[in-house]
Amino acid sequence: MSASHGGTDSPPSSWPQARQNPGFAGDTGEFATLSESEVRGNAYVGVRPRDGGNPAVAGTLPYQVADKDPAAPLFEGAYGERVQKILDRYPDPQAALLPVLHMAHEIRGFLSPETMDEVAVRLGLSPAYVRGVATFYTMYNLGPVGKYLIQVCTNISCNLCGGDAVLEAFLQATGAEVGETTPDGLYTVMEVECLGACGFPTAVQINDRYFENVRPEDVPALLERLK
Amino acid sequence: MAYPYRHPSEVQVLSKYFGDPEARTLKGWEARGGYQALRKALGMSPADVVNEVKASGLRGRGGAGFPTGMKWSFMPPKGDKPHFLVCNADESEPGTFKDRELIRWTPHALVEGCLIGAHAIRAEHAFIYIRGEFFEPAQILARAIEEAYEAGYAGRNVMGSGFDIDITLHLGAGAYICGEETGLLNSLEGRRGEPRIKPPFPAIAGAFRLPTAVNNVESLIAAAHIVQNGAEWYRQWGTEKSTGTKLFCVSGHVKRPGNYEVPLGFNFKEFIYDVCGGTPDGRPIKAVIPGGSSVPMLTADELDIGMDYEAMAAAGTMLGCGSVIVMDDTTDIVKQVRRMVDFYAHESCGQCTPCREGTAWAGKILRRIENGHGTEADLQTLMELSDNMSGKTICVLSDACAAPITSSIQKFRGDYLARMKHPEPAYAAAR
Repeated sequence: MSASHGGTDSPPSSWPQARQNPGFAGDTGEFATLSESEVRGNAYVGVRPRDGGNPAVAGTLPYQVADKDPAAPLFEGAYGERVQKILDRYPDPQAALLPVLHMAHEIRGFLSPETMDEVAVRLGLSPAYVRGVATFYTMYNLGPVGKYLIQVCTNISCNLCGGDAVLEAFLQATGAEVGETTPDGLYTVMEVECLGACGFPTAVQINDRYFENVRPEDVPALLERLK
Repeated sequence: MAYPYRHPSEVQVLSKYFGDPEARTLKGWEARGGYQALRKALGMSPADVVNEVKASGLRGRGGAGFPTGMKWSFMPPKGDKPHFLVCNADESEPGTFKDRELIRWTPHALVEGCLIGAHAIRAEHAFIYIRGEFFEPAQILARAIEEAYEAGYAGRNVMGSGFDIDITLHLGAGAYICGEETGLLNSLEGRRGEPRIKPPFPAIAGAFRLPTAVNNVESLIAAAHIVQNGAEWYRQWGTEKSTGTKLFCVSGHVKRPGNYEVPLGFNFKEFIYDVCGGTPDGRPIKAVIPGGSSVPMLTADELDIGMDYEAMAAAGTMLGCGSVIVMDDTTDIVKQVRRMVDFYAHESCGQCTPCREGTAWAGKILRRIENGHGTEADLQTLMELSDNMSGKTICVLSDACAAPITSSIQKFRGDYLARMKHPEPAYAAAR
């Protein structure tokens, strides 16, 4: 086998090389002239309001974000309006549980037992029930995480193209251990299951954003970009 | 406009506007003929919509391939109870990334598909359950839903038809099992995403225990095209039993990974070597998973088959959701199977013992083999374990975990045995 492979799972040597900037699906030039904003749809989406905007989509704001305050109140002002909008969409208040947990997660950055209890009281559910549900889902952080939550896909498609090496590069560049947060509170690096971007390996999710076609050598520039 | 890669053999029905940011907006979508299918559907009776989709032969694109029109026809006659349409956008099968592309390039196509589906089953409310990780596609879809409401395509008295159809976007929270339709329904109701015992099927007791149809993103968008152009138009592509076009997601060791839309029945070998350009270095292919990590893998010699439900079944595998994962001869099969099994162990909801225990045990045994401490007897144990994991649980996650294990042991036994003799991970390089 050729020396350029460097291992059984690293990307083949003829992988597209024409890269512009680390970041989005298409930055290897496949999307021709499209800008990052066009590929991501940023200009189209605009800014989603804190009160959730249209009730049809009020429960869908990104809930893994850089700015979080573990002590912030949950249901005040625009956030209180959002909860009411969410509740009105379902025949049963219990169905609002995930969207309301998302909102609590968005505000505070993780779901502490106290946060889950507050959600339980607001929705009229038992605290034990809410914890049972919240702990089922992997995207809810049950403790504090870094400002940037870095999740590297190492499932099969990314793994075939070097996902393990990308994970290793993030660990080295940040100095974090898998699943741990760096002492400065900036980064938490985790391994994650398939992100559904298998044609753009390796896929990395940092907070609410996907970064695709990431190679180990792109990692320093990617971290620089976050600042 | 160039979506990552295009090929002349493609037939772009669903993927025509991939890579075209204008198509995302309401104005751009209308300029491309958007919402004409909805207008037509609202002028038809629900039964006529169902019959048209039935006649087209469209089969569900989520993996099981159950005919969409037939699923809709199972809905009970409309009484006092509300009906629900639920769109499954919880795309999480490893290797699958078609729904994400459909949503982020053509969100209005999905909105339109949901409205048509809701009309067909006389539902007043459609829920779109999108996986939690898809923050960006969810924001794009949310904006499209807002636009649809503002333009009167959704909400009260849709397009002046007298029908009320609401759409609600619901974001998941990271659980593969919520892609299973009854797990999804439980999750939608604010429960743990544990699959339900069937029957009752969702058509009788689905979301909120009311009659519900659960359809994949791609199925609903295809249904909109069928309503607009007719069943016969759709049947011009594909085979007798696998009609139409389908998106195939290609990943792994191929020169041009991405989504390709080809007619069902397309030759698989030609697809991989011509459409996708073969392997990047021209290295020989070792194995191909044709339908997502949950289906048995094929060897390079087994690729000369049609990409349709029947031909894949005859070859001992499944078309699944059309997620093609290509592995060249440098691939460490044992490691990749172990990685897939770790995934299933992580995602098992834990309700059924064969799955909860079986996925974890299989992972441990595979890790032992990977580390060079396996014995030949371990392979027998894995086969027996897989047998106990197949067809014995509430949902098919356990069967899905067994598929790569058994198919890889049957087809790549030498790789496992070599691992036992050569404990170093670099054994393949030395071969």
